[in-house]
Amino acid sequence: MTDVPITDLRPLLAVLVSFVAAFFIVASHRSPNVREGWTVAAAVAKFAIVASMLPAVLDGAVFEWSLGAFLPGGIEFVLRADALGMLFAFLASGLWIVTSFYSIGYMRGNDETNQTRYFAAFAVSLSATMGIAFAGNLVTIFVFYELLSIATYPLVAHDETDEARAAGRKYLAYTMFGGGVLVLAGTALVYLIAGNVSFTAGGIEELANADPGLAMLAFFLLAIGFGVKAGIMPLHQWLPEAMVAPTPVSGLLHAVAVVKSGAFGVSRVVLDVFGPELVFELSLPFGFSAGLVLSTIGAVTLTAASIIAMRKDHLKQRLAYSTVSQLSYIILGLGLFGWYGLVGALLHIPAHAFMKLTLFFCAGNLHVSTHTDYISEMAGIGKRMPLTMGAFTVASLGMAGIPLLAGFVSKYYMLIGGIRMGAQFTPVAYYLVGALLLSGVLNIAYFWPVIYTAFFESEDAHDAKPLVDFRMGGESRSTLPATDGGRPEDEDEGGDADDEADIDEVVESAEGDSAVDTDSDPTDDGDLPGDSDIPDAEMDDLPTDEEGVVRPDFDTSDRDFSEPAERVDTGDYAVDSRPSDADVPFGVGRGDDSSDGDRADHSDDATHGAHDDDSHDDDSHDDHDTEHDDHADLADHDDHGHAGGPPAGGWEHIAGLDALRGRESTWFTLGPILTAMSLAVLLGVIPYEMGFLELIELIVDTRLPEEVMRP
Amino acid sequence: MSDVLLPVAIAVPLVSATLPIGLGLKYDDAGWPVAAVATTVLAGLAAAIGVEVARNGPLSHALGTYEPPIGIELVADELSVAVLALVAVVSLATLAFARVAGPRGNSFYSGYLLLVGGLTGLVLTGDLFNMFVFLEIVGISTYALIAADRSGASAYASLKYLVVGTVGASLYLLGVGYAFLATGTLNMLDMQVQIVEQASYADPLIRASYALIVAGLGLKIAVFPIHAWQPDAYQRAPDAVTTIVAALVSTASAYALIRVSYTVFTVDFLAANDAITTVMLIVAGASILAGSALAAMQSDLKRMFAYSSVAQFGMIVAAIALANETALLGGIVHLIGHGLLKFGLFLGVGLLALGYGGRELDDLASAARSAPYTAGAIAVLGLGLVGIPPSVGFLGKWYIGVGAVESSMGAGDPAGIGIAVVIFVSTLFTLSYVARVIERFYFAGVGLSDGHGEEAHGDEHDADDHGGSGSDHGVAADGGRESATGDDDGPLTPVEGAPRSRLVPDRVPSVPLAVLIVAALATIALGFGGYALFEWFDPFLTEVFA
Repeated sequence: MTDVPITDLRPLLAVLVSFVAAFFIVASHRSPNVREGWTVAAAVAKFAIVASMLPAVLDGAVFEWSLGAFLPGGIEFVLRADALGMLFAFLASGLWIVTSFYSIGYMRGNDETNQTRYFAAFAVSLSATMGIAFAGNLVTIFVFYELLSIATYPLVAHDETDEARAAGRKYLAYTMFGGGVLVLAGTALVYLIAGNVSFTAGGIEELANADPGLAMLAFFLLAIGFGVKAGIMPLHQWLPEAMVAPTPVSGLLHAVAVVKSGAFGVSRVVLDVFGPELVFELSLPFGFSAGLVLSTIGAVTLTAASIIAMRKDHLKQRLAYSTVSQLSYIILGLGLFGWYGLVGALLHIPAHAFMKLTLFFCAGNLHVSTHTDYISEMAGIGKRMPLTMGAFTVASLGMAGIPLLAGFVSKYYMLIGGIRMGAQFTPVAYYLVGALLLSGVLNIAYFWPVIYTAFFESEDAHDAKPLVDFRMGGESRSTLPATDGGRPEDEDEGGDADDEADIDEVVESAEGDSAVDTDSDPTDDGDLPGDSDIPDAEMDDLPTDEEGVVRPDFDTSDRDFSEPAERVDTGDYAVDSRPSDADVPFGVGRGDDSSDGDRADHSDDATHGAHDDDSHDDDSHDDHDTEHDDHADLADHDDHGHAGGPPAGGWEHIAGLDALRGRESTWFTLGPILTAMSLAVLLGVIPYEMGFLELIELIVDTRLPEEVMRP
Repeated sequence: MSDVLLPVAIAVPLVSATLPIGLGLKYDDAGWPVAAVATTVLAGLAAAIGVEVARNGPLSHALGTYEPPIGIELVADELSVAVLALVAVVSLATLAFARVAGPRGNSFYSGYLLLVGGLTGLVLTGDLFNMFVFLEIVGISTYALIAADRSGASAYASLKYLVVGTVGASLYLLGVGYAFLATGTLNMLDMQVQIVEQASYADPLIRASYALIVAGLGLKIAVFPIHAWQPDAYQRAPDAVTTIVAALVSTASAYALIRVSYTVFTVDFLAANDAITTVMLIVAGASILAGSALAAMQSDLKRMFAYSSVAQFGMIVAAIALANETALLGGIVHLIGHGLLKFGLFLGVGLLALGYGGRELDDLASAARSAPYTAGAIAVLGLGLVGIPPSVGFLGKWYIGVGAVESSMGAGDPAGIGIAVVIFVSTLFTLSYVARVIERFYFAGVGLSDGHGEEAHGDEHDADDHGGSGSDHGVAADGGRESATGDDDGPLTPVEGAPRSRLVPDRVPSVPLAVLIVAALATIALGFGGYALFEWFDPFLTEVFA
């Protein structure tokens, strides 16, 4: 193992390659294919540069590039590729390749505007992410941390709607508060009490000798400052709101780069600024230590976020809270003092990234292909998008910690680490283990309904979602328009599923019979509907013709036209064939809680049909045609102001060879989904061979004191 | 012999100020060329003085060969050179803008050169009363320049500034008078010695003198709550005037405060007078908070950045009052950096007003689509103001913040901790108005194709507009549509006769735009020069804190 860092330009190149590419992306704004080519080229180049350093780093080398003294006191602007930095850099740069292809499919499939700005901002964000990964001291990581916030802001506010702007403002406020205020204050404090802000494996020595009160203050300033981006509660609010961004942004940035940079920052603070030993020893009252407080915050966040996730109907919101919850696994693991806990925490960084990226990509693909965002509309969608929902299933199982998937390995290590810490040091760790186990169950609780409704429920009879908002045993709903003039259920009525069937029967049996049945005994004739069976219909007063069909009286001779006409409820008219057009609670076309913003995407515009025809440009049609073929039939969906859900007649069933050929969507989106899913599976099956576990073991081995080393 | 550079540097702009009026008898448009030549010469002189100071340390010159302490002394040390460089560069660069935008006429350029001369003298003088003279020269020329466009509003703003500014200068003079009474000398370095010998740091006369000087200069710097003249003056003045005034006038007054506090009264005086420094810290903190809050409420861009100056100078005054070496370094770095940033910001705002007629934020929705380079430069400068690294704004904030924490750790007094918290949180405050501007320029959603984003005045949407404000997804077939097609100027309509450029889509004059972009890049380059700046100011700081 070499202790002396090797001066090498590659860390700087890894940062700069996409920054430079951003200028080329902007320059080629008139040729979308060239522009996308720059993105892919930059992603591949970046990954190649990072990967080229990986074998040497696995052997213990460290690559460094320094700009020289940046601030007095010997603070340099230095990029250092060590094992911990390589972990994050390797992950982010690799996943950028996958996301680039997905972005292409998503942005074109959704016909987004400002694509140049999007791709350029993405490139700069990845540049800042590499800077965070390779930063060699607190000031450098702060510089890139702020740059990441600035670079990702255009991505969050991309849609330029009110909701997007509000989300962008909140995002900037939270991340600038975390970074610009807390991290800066913490860095200044560390500089003042230790005189040194360089990342040193095992912690900066002077900190151990400094005043413990100030050291504790610095620790929490830094941990919470980085934790804001990692989504610890109660500073997590920006994450769900940032879901208004396009899905590749949610995927890469909010599941991989931005939130992981927060978690990475916390790991740098714990491992390289304070050191696990100091973190464990800085003590607070009631037997808590700084590390334990960190883990407790993580445990509380992961439980609360999981519970909130169960209540969300919007899929991306559910995934957002799931991200908040899973990120706290990492925070929890970092506070555990012991080899296993730290390895588990660090391993969760790539594990969660692969799984969450798959999930977000699936959600985005659902949006692009079927414009379905709400779980309550997803009944039977597995027929329409088998590959997508299949990948979703695999990734969800991984999230819950099912073996053979990535989530299991990291969780396993963390559980062992927690138990060992509980046995050796403090029983509080047992509660943390309990929280981890509970969260596995909660993960199932909020992912399984999605899978179940996609594959095992049908569009016309499924349980109302989200499940926890309705009674036990579920309530039947249908996302298809009822074909028999079905009656929307009242909010107040509990309504048995049985009742609904009865009323339908009752109404059907009314046809063909004389509906006028004056003074009939309700129990007179089982076939004839009695007055009490038919709600709201005063059969006595309705005029009928010879055949017994109720015809309203259209004699208008003495009608006062200043009043609207009387409404006649005959019981067998379909008032409108699309229940979404009426105010139907929890019906199709009506959102719940915070999802109105996303509805805005699909608000009805009468002139929209005309727009589409005028705006087709033949020249640029070609590259879009291939992607558009598969969902040309759904392209009109945008225009009808109908938010999502199945078309009349249910989902189109894509099965067999068609499914394998990817007819449900395009390969630009399906490829990345399947790639990310495979990576999640591979990480669960061969974590060593994938390089991550070996890297992590190297990281932890060099930072722990003897008594808690790997046994 | 090289110390002759100092009086020449002052004389050149002052004497050249007479030339436009003189030549105006024969030529109509003599003003701009004279000003250009004079400021170029001044820039050269400033560079020469800088080289001289870098090589041999501080320069001094006895004016008229009368030896100090009776005679007036001109001194150039590291601090003066830095501010002088700022004065020279900004006064030269603003001329590029004034040529296309600013008031025309020979008398304007005479006033301009008078201002430059006054600033140079203020920066280079080593005598307290001489400083008052130059303070007044700066003031009077500024009053005239602000009213230069002969409109009623600017005359009113100028009058307001005149009254307040004269009060400020008078308070300063009163303070100098008290100090003269106590010590019998007006030379700065001599007074530093005499205060200790003839009076003491606890002498009421000395304290009163300092307090009066601080109050007077505070009026000129425009700290809260005596800032009220500034927003009107900056907003109503012609755009080119605002550019130079915002960058240099308050900066020079703050320089004067630093000079008086540390060279004349010294850091020991500050350390011995907790009451005075605490009051200064409180006023500074209030400035930061109130200035940012007021800035966030503005819709006129120039007014917004005027209030921003109140906040930023609050930080500088806080740095002065902390009496800490790192904090003072931060104050000085921020002084220079802020001058450059405000120069760029007002230049950018002025260019947008010139090219598109838009002064209010509402009128500049999605400006980035029409004028990407101008909006981009304003965004970069704005983020520098917030303190996003790597920018010179970050450097100043880092040093002041570290200094504040350092002094609060050492003394443990709540004022230091309070100001440290305010400094760190000021990032958020500055962000509150800068983010508004950036959001308006880039994400207002105007002018998007296919019905994306907002309608042209999308800020007010009807309450019965269901489901948000109509962001529909069109079904265009290409990889996104950019609006730069031919004659399409984007969401903003340029004014009649706005210049067209082959290189950029912005309809603003090219040379000032180039200057703006250079200024934005310079602030980033300076941001990387933290160590170099520290090394430059180190001799001055060591001497002051010895």
